[in-house]
Amino acid sequence: MRVILTAKPRKKPLIPVEAETIIPRHFRQGRDLTVWEGNRERSLRDIFDVMVERTAAAAEEVEVILRGDVSRFKRVGEYMDAGKITIEGDIGMHCGNFMTGGTIEIHGNADGWLGREMRGGRILCHGNAGHYAGSGYRGEKFGMKGGTLEILGNAGDFAAEYLAGGEVIIHGNAGDLPGVEMVNGTLTIHGNCSRPCGNMTGGTCTVLGTVRGMLPTFRKNSTLLHGSDKIPLTVFEGDIANRGKGILQVREYSYDD
Amino acid sequence: MTELLLRNACVIDPLNRVNGDVMDIAIRDGWIVESVGNGAEVIDARGFLTLPGGIDSHTHICGTKVNFGRYMMPEDMRAGRTIRKGVMHATSGYSVPTTYGNSYRYSAMGYTSILEGAMAPLEARHTHEEFSATPLQDTMANTLFDGNWPVMEAVKEKDVKRAAAIVAWTLAAVKGFAVKLTNPGGTEAWGWGKNVTCIRDPVPHFEVTPAEIIETLIRANELLRLPHSVHLHCNNLGAPGNYQCTIGTFDLVPDLNKERQSLYATHVQFHAYGGTSWKDINSKAEPVAYSVNRKPQIVIDMGQMMFGKTTTMTADGPMEWNLYRLHHNKWSNHDVELETTSGIIPVYYSKKSLVNCVMWAIGLELALLVKDPWQCLLATDNPNGAPFVRYPEIIGLLMSKRYRDEEFRTIHPDTGKRVILDTLDRELGWHDIAVMTRAGQAKALGIAKIGKGHLGVGAEADIAVYPIRIRDTDPSRDYAAVVSAFQRTAWTIKRGRVVCRDGDVVVEGTNRTIWANSRVPEAFDMGRDPEFVKKFDRYYTVRMANYPVQDAYIPRSGCIESEAVL
Ligand SMILES: [Zn+2]
Repeated sequence: MRVILTAKPRKKPLIPVEAETIIPRHFRQGRDLTVWEGNRERSLRDIFDVMVERTAAAAEEVEVILRGDVSRFKRVGEYMDAGKITIEGDIGMHCGNFMTGGTIEIHGNADGWLGREMRGGRILCHGNAGHYAGSGYRGEKFGMKGGTLEILGNAGDFAAEYLAGGEVIIHGNAGDLPGVEMVNGTLTIHGNCSRPCGNMTGGTCTVLGTVRGMLPTFRKNSTLLHGSDKIPLTVFEGDIANRGKGILQVREYSYDD
Repeated sequence: MTELLLRNACVIDPLNRVNGDVMDIAIRDGWIVESVGNGAEVIDARGFLTLPGGIDSHTHICGTKVNFGRYMMPEDMRAGRTIRKGVMHATSGYSVPTTYGNSYRYSAMGYTSILEGAMAPLEARHTHEEFSATPLQDTMANTLFDGNWPVMEAVKEKDVKRAAAIVAWTLAAVKGFAVKLTNPGGTEAWGWGKNVTCIRDPVPHFEVTPAEIIETLIRANELLRLPHSVHLHCNNLGAPGNYQCTIGTFDLVPDLNKERQSLYATHVQFHAYGGTSWKDINSKAEPVAYSVNRKPQIVIDMGQMMFGKTTTMTADGPMEWNLYRLHHNKWSNHDVELETTSGIIPVYYSKKSLVNCVMWAIGLELALLVKDPWQCLLATDNPNGAPFVRYPEIIGLLMSKRYRDEEFRTIHPDTGKRVILDTLDRELGWHDIAVMTRAGQAKALGIAKIGKGHLGVGAEADIAVYPIRIRDTDPSRDYAAVVSAFQRTAWTIKRGRVVCRDGDVVVEGTNRTIWANSRVPEAFDMGRDPEFVKKFDRYYTVRMANYPVQDAYIPRSGCIESEAVL
């Protein structure tokens, strides 16, 4: 089953749309779905041109395709457990919150909180992701617990904050403070970042670019050669300020004065 | 003139000795009257249980500490969300909800008056601002004097009248309702990173003991003829073995007032622990209740703990530090110059934790072992023991041995060796519950005389109608029906107006702030006392002229005047 949702032009395109109902399972059930545009509840058909092809025996067989400007659509894929969502352009905040299964593929950029508190499944973002990708929400002590979040572009600040399981891969650069408060899981940053992993207690963070503002509370342990390219990495343990046993391995690093 | 007739109400009104009579209640302009005319609006209560509006005599719902709990716990805002509906604002939060969240949920449970358990005088404006956004309950604020420098100096000089004069000046300045002592002396010691362990430890610098502070302020309170007694959070909260300190404190209390207690001891569950460490903690509810049973001058509230998530917040800064060292979760701490402290940490009370299971049992034991329900009121020290929305479950547990036994089977298997709850057969009745949730509070707070907590002619028409018929209900067996009835009134009437119907608030609400003004002879006016003024200007970071809360913060003032005898 394929559901193609093409966003209609909106009079006030800056008003956010809360679209947590958009998950594959709901379309298989043929429910009348609604979303909230600002403080107004709208039928899905008021907001999108909806095209449905074939039927599905299970949520796994449902693919939802989002077209048009959905850059202000929030919470798409929240609690998604199966199937696929493809977003052809940019997507708004909180895409894939709490998802446990299935795949979300974003061809453009993602706004903040992409895959926050994800439990399973896979998110692939071809563009950049905003702040707090794969993190926990405000006040929460455990962020992402499982699944894979892969960002081919850059990520903003606080990527993988409170990471507690699963894998976060950032192919570009990450901003400030990635992997802070990490307790488990793996975070790989292919580019550069600053001040990673403060207060980390567990898990592994690998930075294949350059770290600026390396925190002084990480103890240098050893060196290793990473991957088939045998990239030399310095291995640190920390955050010792927090009696942490996390691993932070970096290619190049400098401390702030 | 607006008139309302509530018909066929099955009324329990302990202060007027009404116990289950089906009657009509006539209301005119917010007050209960003998009769109303034919044009009155009529509500048919259909034989439902009808009680005076609920009164919470110890809860934390407004002020800096509560609001800091909100800052600190954004994750709490993910629970308890409700959307805007009619006149109702959107709300969020479970253990530290928004002010409207508190107000609506209390109203749905039939509560019409609530007392904020701890207001630091210096930060009173914040409490009053939040009171004005808690529109469906009349509000009162306990005012903290546990580490008050001028008071401690008066205590040291054994000058009860001067202590009284300072209390009178401060209550009037901050529009406070009553004297609250939180870990007296301990909060001042905390300014030096120390604490006091019990009533005989000296407070650093001031060289007074908690016992002296408590005794002096009990006497000062009565000299001022204040509506409420001293309201005490005993020293050494939450420490295994602290029950002896609690009983020692109770032994200090003279019987000075014929109309009510001379000491209100709050959240006594947290103060009735035996043992020497967390490993051997056990219930000492029995000796504590025994002490209360022999002392009519004491009223306690349960401070019941219920399993689940919540936030602890108290003026007891050193105690919160100890909790932080136990949990290693987030913690906040605050010192209020010359006055008091506070601390906040989130907690999760778990059935897997033997300590938590013992705590749960102790609160219930206290309520079942204190013979006279007027002496043990129902509260959780919201949100410390549990958010107040859990009160109906507590009512169910107190009314049903079967419910307690069922719960008991789900908790830590060793609990039975530490507590006696499972051996207590007492089941409280409807009248007991009416006492423990409104009439007892009205009497203990001294607000029955302004028309609170009863339904006699001349009372303020604050009424809760619960959708349950007591003659058709056996609470022992149908405890689930009891719990659900107390969760949501059919009608909550505040000052003669229906404010909440089947759980939905239907009016904006306009509450009053009840505060106490004790007039002292001119010689005792601290505003003109050279010594007091000099030290105020020397030690406070605010000017004395800027300290009092302006009238603008109290849009609807309900001042209780008294004439001090100094
Ligand atoms: Zn309290």
